[in-house]
Amino acid sequence: MKRNSKLNLKGDTDMAKRTSTASAVLVLSLVAFGGAALAASAEDDSFNKVSAGLYEKAKQEGSVIIYSVWDVEHLVKITEAFSKRFPGIKTSYWQGRNPEIVTRVVIEFQANNPSVDAILSDNAPPVIRAAGAIMPYETVQKNLLILHDPTMPVVSLQIQTLSYNTKKLKAADAPKTWEDVANAKYKGMVALDDPMRAGPLSSMLAGLKGLWKDDARWTKFVQGLKALNVPLHKSTSAMMRLLVAGEYAIGMPTLLHDTLEEKETGSPIDYAKTAPPIVFPRYAGIYAKAPHPNAAKLLTEWLISIEGQRTLDAVGRESSRKGFRSKASIDTAFPKGTRSIPVEDKLFLEDPKKWLDTNVKPIWGE
Amino acid sequence: MAKDIAAEAAVNWRWVKLIYKQGTLIPLFASIIAGSLIIAPVLIVLSRSLTTARLGTFVGLTGENYVRVFTDPKLLPMLWNSLIYAAGSATIGTVLGGLLAWILARTNTPGKALVELMPLYPILMPPIMKNIAWILLLAPKAGILNNLLIEYFGVQGPVFNAFSMAAMIWVFGLACVPLGYLFLLPVFLSFDPSLEESAYIAGSKPIHTALRITFPLAIPAFLSALVLNFLRGLRSFETPVLQGSPAGIQVFVSRVYDAMSVDYNPGLGTAYSTVLVALSILVLLFYTRITRFSERYATITGKGYRVKAIDIGKWKYVTFLVVFSYFLVGIVIPFLVLIVVSLIPYYDFETFMKFPANMVLTNFYRVMRHPSFVTGLYNSLTLSVTIAVITVLMGIVMAFTMYRTRTYGTKIFEFIGTLPLAFPPLVLSLGLVIVFLGTPLYNTLWALGLGLFVAYFPYALRNASGSIVNIHRELDEAAWVHGARWRHVFFKITLPILKPSVAGAFFYIFIEAIRNIDVAVLLSAPGHEYGPVTLFEYFRVGQWAEAAAGGVIYLLILIVAVSVAKFVFQVKLSL
Repeated sequence: MKRNSKLNLKGDTDMAKRTSTASAVLVLSLVAFGGAALAASAEDDSFNKVSAGLYEKAKQEGSVIIYSVWDVEHLVKITEAFSKRFPGIKTSYWQGRNPEIVTRVVIEFQANNPSVDAILSDNAPPVIRAAGAIMPYETVQKNLLILHDPTMPVVSLQIQTLSYNTKKLKAADAPKTWEDVANAKYKGMVALDDPMRAGPLSSMLAGLKGLWKDDARWTKFVQGLKALNVPLHKSTSAMMRLLVAGEYAIGMPTLLHDTLEEKETGSPIDYAKTAPPIVFPRYAGIYAKAPHPNAAKLLTEWLISIEGQRTLDAVGRESSRKGFRSKASIDTAFPKGTRSIPVEDKLFLEDPKKWLDTNVKPIWGE
Repeated sequence: MAKDIAAEAAVNWRWVKLIYKQGTLIPLFASIIAGSLIIAPVLIVLSRSLTTARLGTFVGLTGENYVRVFTDPKLLPMLWNSLIYAAGSATIGTVLGGLLAWILARTNTPGKALVELMPLYPILMPPIMKNIAWILLLAPKAGILNNLLIEYFGVQGPVFNAFSMAAMIWVFGLACVPLGYLFLLPVFLSFDPSLEESAYIAGSKPIHTALRITFPLAIPAFLSALVLNFLRGLRSFETPVLQGSPAGIQVFVSRVYDAMSVDYNPGLGTAYSTVLVALSILVLLFYTRITRFSERYATITGKGYRVKAIDIGKWKYVTFLVVFSYFLVGIVIPFLVLIVVSLIPYYDFETFMKFPANMVLTNFYRVMRHPSFVTGLYNSLTLSVTIAVITVLMGIVMAFTMYRTRTYGTKIFEFIGTLPLAFPPLVLSLGLVIVFLGTPLYNTLWALGLGLFVAYFPYALRNASGSIVNIHRELDEAAWVHGARWRHVFFKITLPILKPSVAGAFFYIFIEAIRNIDVAVLLSAPGHEYGPVTLFEYFRVGQWAEAAAGGVIYLLILIVAVSVAKFVFQVKLSL
């Protein structure tokens, strides 16, 4: 009995320990959650505060002009939601590809033309900034962002995935990591984005180089890809279509929101959840000679706010906000604990051609 | 000193009066205005090639870009690829277009009344749509034709390859057919049949007559179309990128785009473009040399005649087969592929073959709900009609100045008027943006309209030049002798005779402008949607099914518009 009592006592003690541990974890979780919630709430407060001030000035400016690489359908929904939230600010947009945005903005800047307020894009804003045509602006919600740039708020992310055609390749046979793709057994099955065109594959290579910090490993990887001697595409979207069509079994890299959309429509596409996603910022850069700078800042802050991120999520754009769960967020699309790989190389961001000439061209050639 | 100046001014004034008396001042003046509008962006673009600075910085003038261009180890291989691609597709397109024009205009081929507009239908389809259709047809593993051959005919392995030079030439060659057809049709329609009749009386067979009399007289118009198609091929970008890149086939123009989109170095891009300009000038020199004795090709003389079809006997069944094959391969098959792709959830061979059991209308629904589809279509429709009219008229005025007035040095317009065609669209757009920037025109539909004018002027000029040399000078001379001024000659003689070719050029430029992406994308303004950009956007973001749905809607609207104009209102579009 005694023994039993002891056992019970031990059991009780264990139980008590477990209970206290669980309680501690719970308390800590609550504290952490509460802390995060408080932090988020504090950031929301700061958004409310800053937006109130900006809105008054923006109303006087009366409009905001956007240049963007994003789909027109998305831009329309985003600007409609913005106008609904902040009546009295007229919105207009022009949509083009990154080279066209860079060319247009920088030429307008040289001609001293107050043509645009905000530039929503991935590759274009850093190049425009290098030409001196971006007004530095740091968001008040910076602590909530997955990637932060002190001069251009990151309002969304480009998330790269490793996708494969499920009719051509079983999940078990599909590559598990980015490095696996360079395995000779995948020769004849893979299509790559052209690594010398400053597109998604080159940004992926920049991200992996920054993560690995191991030149030998990185060089071996690029050499392995080169040795596959596979089709290179200058259009990621065309490559994705041919992947869906079954022309290729593996596409590297593809974009998460494309992959998820394809899965939704029933296309035979899936992605390797074990390959950590490469994340590239999608900025909202404010033009140095913006005719409506306060309206541009307000738009930027709103895009990062919960309401703005919900609007982006509704059109299928990835969230840039920590802890924001959506169908295209890393938390939802990848297993718990997955660490994303950010592309942060300054030279790559501002002068991709120079970075490619220095790092990739000696291995890949042209 | 003052006396000298006064004397010099008097001499100059006398010169102006002389030109006016000759009746050439107004067309010359109009040509100079049009020429200046064209040359301004061209000169700006060329001046940018003399700086190595990235956009936003200035480091002075230098020839470094040209050093980089001419020491580029890939220059010659890429140029060679471009030449093969451009020459191959221009030859296929112009020969086939010319053949179709001859069959429909001059022979008694059965059922031609039903198909006379048919060779034009492919130009109604946006170029990217054609690429999508042919990639899905010819892709080695996923292509419809290869899978059909393997599945139903037991063929081992793929027969066709969408990603090859041959496929590139085939696809772009088909895109060149309408231009060949439009340029040659007016010539065959305005042909004096007495020339052929003389040959028959002398015992010549119809085919021999066609080869030895009819076709040689169509050489200026044929060369005009060939030159244009060749230059289009040199700067063509979509087909090489979509079908060439995966096979490692690089063409020269991709260097221009890389310099602009990877390097963000317009200076280097424009230096590469200069090579294309030089090539274009060489081609034009060749053309002017060939057609220098223009009277040789004059088929429209002062003598009255009636155009009539020739009985080609049993050959009419062969020509019918040619027309039918083109109809099937060039139009029906790619169009059907697009329709099916726009009606299925996604494309792969298995899903394609399940149609219509798996038919969905979501792609059409989505396109129709696109926020800028309707307004963009309206804007592009209005602007295209206006620009087509102005461009065609100015093209005729410039061609008239060159070939019908006796002003020294007007042949320079031949080069100026064709120059825009030598520039890749992105480069030309850059020049146009710089021209309009700082003027009230910037960010308006006017700037876009003028941009389209510059981009399509070469087509109007080449079309008018090719046709005007077919009109014998004796008609003009008869009018001059009777004291007519240039306006009488132009409006009462030249323009009425050129009517079929004017209609053809108008139609072509209207269609090209209404689906223009390259010029529109940089010159379109916030708040002014332009229809074709919407379709391109679907393609760019990888939504081929939506792009196909939009293309089908666009195509149907244009087919209905053209057919109504032709059959209900009896508008002579080309015939």
